Amino acid sequence: MLTAVKNQGKVTLLNIKYALMREMLNKTTFITNIVFMILNNASFIIQWIILYSIKDSVGGYTFKEVMLLWGIAAGTYGVSHFFFEKAYFLSDTITEGKLDVFLVQPKNVLLSAITSDVKTSALGDMLYGLIMCLVANLTLLQLFLFLFFCIMGGIILTSFAVILGSLSFWIQKADMVAETGNGLMTNFATYPDGIFKGAVKVLLFTIVPVGMVNYIPIKLLVSFRLDLFLGIILFMILGIIIAYFIFYRGLKRYSSSNLMNARI
Amino acid sequence: MSVIEVKNLCKTFRVKKKEKGLKGSFKSLWQPNYKKVEAVQNISFEVEKGEMIAFIGPNGAGKSTTIKMLTGILYPDSGSVSILGLDPKKDRKKLAYEIGTVFGQKEQLWTHLTPYDNFKFFGAIYDIPEKAVEKKIEELGTLFELEQFINTPVRNLSLGERIRCEIVASLIHNPKILFLDEPTIGLDPVVKENIRALIKRMNKEYKTTVFLTSHDVGDIEKLCKRVVIVNHGKLVLDDSMENLKYHYLNKKIVEAKMKEKVNLEGEDGISILKDKGYNLKIEVDTKKKTVADALKLLNPDNIVDINISNMPLEDIISTIYQGEDK
Repeated sequence: MLTAVKNQGKVTLLNIKYALMREMLNKTTFITNIVFMILNNASFIIQWIILYSIKDSVGGYTFKEVMLLWGIAAGTYGVSHFFFEKAYFLSDTITEGKLDVFLVQPKNVLLSAITSDVKTSALGDMLYGLIMCLVANLTLLQLFLFLFFCIMGGIILTSFAVILGSLSFWIQKADMVAETGNGLMTNFATYPDGIFKGAVKVLLFTIVPVGMVNYIPIKLLVSFRLDLFLGIILFMILGIIIAYFIFYRGLKRYSSSNLMNARI
Repeated sequence: MSVIEVKNLCKTFRVKKKEKGLKGSFKSLWQPNYKKVEAVQNISFEVEKGEMIAFIGPNGAGKSTTIKMLTGILYPDSGSVSILGLDPKKDRKKLAYEIGTVFGQKEQLWTHLTPYDNFKFFGAIYDIPEKAVEKKIEELGTLFELEQFINTPVRNLSLGERIRCEIVASLIHNPKILFLDEPTIGLDPVVKENIRALIKRMNKEYKTTVFLTSHDVGDIEKLCKRVVIVNHGKLVLDDSMENLKYHYLNKKIVEAKMKEKVNLEGEDGISILKDKGYNLKIEVDTKKKTVADALKLLNPDNIVDINISNMPLEDIISTIYQGEDK
């Protein structure tokens, strides 16, 4: 069992390594992608600087907390899109019959499929998260917590993308649903949760779990609470189990395809 | 000993039916209509260890669906599959260690990596220790003559070289059965011949059972001793290549160069395939007319040159397909 887990881990890392090597074929494109993503994220901070020059608090957040929110949002997005980029293309992978390659290999199909590509610009997101973290002047413990939340949030985002992508086993054109759902997660991630009320807020802590990925980690970075900390870890585990269950349930309905394709 | 046992295998797909045009699209949005396509219907067969079997049929016959159910890619609706005693549905991972697959239309290799790096990656997938992988790469590299390009990125290789690498990648873990789904698709005749020779050599060397689907009669004729034909999802014929040829060889092709023109129109048992004045190509149905009688009609004194041959396997297979369609 332990050897199997070790071997699976080795293959997953090799998958990511080779996908990264493919992205690094062109130095200019590779570096430009990263730098432009950092600049893109930084441009949004300007509107917050203007807003905070008028008000001291927005939705219960200070300027430092908004910076941390951006840091967590970029960090979680970066982790998810760098390591598990193909989770966001799961619909296409299913409908175009591209799971065949992974199904004939003695490894975890889901993990092999979602780690078979990386997104270079996501490295820029991760770096931007770290920059925000440094600007916010965190303590060493807060820094560790920040990194932990980025990884944990990245896993929740990935589970969410897998659940939405797996709908393609049942519904035609589910890629549109997945795209909208994943877009919602990104759009809500950079606004303080205090500005949302009622049903929207409930939604953000349940079906569209931005709260678990972004808002609760910010609260914990400001003031640590063990119950909330354990709560989001439990949520992450639950997310993984649901994603895994739905994917493998759907896999029984997989109908493959005879489209010609290459791993390029 | 049977390594593949298939009993009453069935697979049905649900396909959306849509009327033409935008109106049809709107209608199908609110009242979707589905039809059932029976891709595989009650197929049963067995394959012995070390056998090279051709599993053929026209497009949409159910070949790929069957091969995908045998390799654990698709779940059958009913029936049973046993590959080396394993059920692909339940033991997908265990089975993957025992079989190799090459899908001519789907590439498994990373194109930016060299074949060598790809083989090492496949070694990791099958949990093979580093030293053992290196030894295997060397062995297969020699067998499949990869030395010239083993360190060239896959994207810079010719199609023939890529297919050779795909086959080697699928053999890296010493599979007992190799599933080849149209391995020579898109290759030129010389490369095809080369790939066939290598597959034959591999079968001889490692006693690997080969399950081949192909539209190329050359692949079937030169590699396999047994043919299983499917059409419309049903098994049409399961016989040895020898029997197939024997039973369908009641037709002879006669190509003759004549001194004077001959009119054979309306002759019972003779079909004119080509008539270009002095050059004649006819098909003789030996059940109705002997070759000797056909030659008498041509008049031996009138013949400058003659060639009598059996019906090509390609035509035999087409006849079987068409017979099924009728």
